[in-house]
Amino acid sequence: MRDVWLVARFEVFRAIRTWRALALLVLYGVASAGACWLFVRFVGLLENSLAQQLRVPVTKTPGAMLGRLVTSDMWHDVVAAMCGSETLADHLVSIPPLAMFHLWLGFLLVPFFAASASAECIAIDVQSRAVRYELLRTGRIEIVVGRFLGQLALTGAASALSMVTALGVGLGFMLVDDPLALAGWMLVYTPRAWAFGIPFVALGVTASQLTASPAWARVMAIGAAASSWVLLGVARWMETKDGLGLAADVMLQLLPQGWIRGMWDPGWGWLASSAACAALAGAGLVVGYVRFSRRDL
Amino acid sequence: MSGHALTFEGVSKRYTSRGPLALDDVSFHVPRGSITGFVGHNGAGKTTAFSLVAGFLRPDAGVVDILGRGGFDPYVMKGVLGVLPQDAELPDRHTPRELLRHLCRLQGWTAGDAATEADRVLDIVRLTDRRDARIHTFSHGMRRRVAVASALVGAPPLVLLDEPLSGLDPVQQHALRDALAQLRGQQTLVISSHDLDDLERISDWVVMLKQGRCLRQGPIAEVTGSKHLCSWRVSSPERVPLTELASRLPEHRFSLRDDVLLEEAPSDGDLDQSSVVVMGLLSASSVPLRAVRRGVGLEQRFLDDVREG
Repeated sequence: MRDVWLVARFEVFRAIRTWRALALLVLYGVASAGACWLFVRFVGLLENSLAQQLRVPVTKTPGAMLGRLVTSDMWHDVVAAMCGSETLADHLVSIPPLAMFHLWLGFLLVPFFAASASAECIAIDVQSRAVRYELLRTGRIEIVVGRFLGQLALTGAASALSMVTALGVGLGFMLVDDPLALAGWMLVYTPRAWAFGIPFVALGVTASQLTASPAWARVMAIGAAASSWVLLGVARWMETKDGLGLAADVMLQLLPQGWIRGMWDPGWGWLASSAACAALAGAGLVVGYVRFSRRDL
Repeated sequence: MSGHALTFEGVSKRYTSRGPLALDDVSFHVPRGSITGFVGHNGAGKTTAFSLVAGFLRPDAGVVDILGRGGFDPYVMKGVLGVLPQDAELPDRHTPRELLRHLCRLQGWTAGDAATEADRVLDIVRLTDRRDARIHTFSHGMRRRVAVASALVGAPPLVLLDEPLSGLDPVQQHALRDALAQLRGQQTLVISSHDLDDLERISDWVVMLKQGRCLRQGPIAEVTGSKHLCSWRVSSPERVPLTELASRLPEHRFSLRDDVLLEEAPSDGDLDQSSVVVMGLLSASSVPLRAVRRGVGLEQRFLDDVREG
């Protein structure tokens, strides 16, 4: 465990001193801020539409009618579309919209950020053979797990940065009655986006174990992350077909996206989904390690 | 416990299933505490042999034994082996001090001891003044010195250095060669280099490879013949009095190879005494002497062996 910790710490230092990882981090923060700004504008449009229905004056700053908006059917439909469940939406409508949107955005962006950032973590050192300096002093499993944990920490940092930028956009461009409640809910939801990212970090690390080319590893990782969304669509379609329900269930169990609904749970139910995501990550790492442990380095 | 720091027993390695053998049934040993020169032309298998010792590659056949403990296992041999890989880039976003402390800590050292040890080896490679600069700002020679330091950090009993002096300026080469020579007896160093004069100066044991096979191994004096061979480089070889030399020193054998007069003494012969006679006869025959060397030299021995196959 000591070696895993040492490798993880070194990996974090290495990554934050590489412009590519920093650029990805900043890009993720900027993308979050941009998407949240668009969402704030969208909320403004919904509020204006509601104001017209209620024949009350239209407000210029989004958020002025948030209290009315969240009790409307219109908002219920938006929330149901985000979390994928009408029942869950009943519980979620009272949560600050920006906190909800930020979590939804996290589910969308974190997989690509995590897979892309972690894809080079081993391959780059296998290609340059720099991995040999550590290989003399610790086992291959420690290197893989240490770098995985290092990348997980970076994904956590990216999620936190994204939360701060999103909160900044919310407070700057929206009327927020209770900033502390918004910050609190974002703080509650951000770890869920990060937990959802765990299997995608593992996906990147697995790709990185399979090839010595960082570029190829990144293509594999991003391709696999994109494919997982396609497979989710396929599984959802299969759910609606007679005789394919069981196969769809199995597919959903094996896809991180299959555990998203649990992540929306307002209580502690999200921890079970996180554990499932962690288990999927572990399985992915093992697949990569079977190859990595036998490779000439 | 084996008396050898490193033993290869019938080791073979092929990179691809149908490719040529990079190492073909290679057997040799390296005595403990020695500085061993590892000699071979490009593609002879030196780097492959180093990689097999370090566990970067796995042998197809045979046994590699380190200090009598079997093949390399990072869990049970932490800090036992230091390697300067020939073509491995350094993690260059770190400072040398950070890198060496990290490597030292992976060898089981505490943070405080690792910092002290990192500073010690940085002093050996003369990088103390740049210890807190990022490695990516370093010249090729400075990076090489960091890589050498990474092999020496933690004072491992067996150190493999692949071309440690390449890319260094003459002053740095001299300093590093002296520093390595001072480790004789404390650590076992196996040094691969194409600069055979350099190797001859600091080695006391030699292993020669050719096309994946071990050509020769033994003490440097025996391999180069420095105890019973003397090379006299002369300016006018046609005037060398071979007949007179043979009659004055009948137990010694003399031969001319280009501008080199080669003297071979019997095993109990005294080259110090005979050299007075040889110098006298060359002087009397007006043969200008350019250089005298005990033995044929490692480079000449290697070239002869390679030509003979």
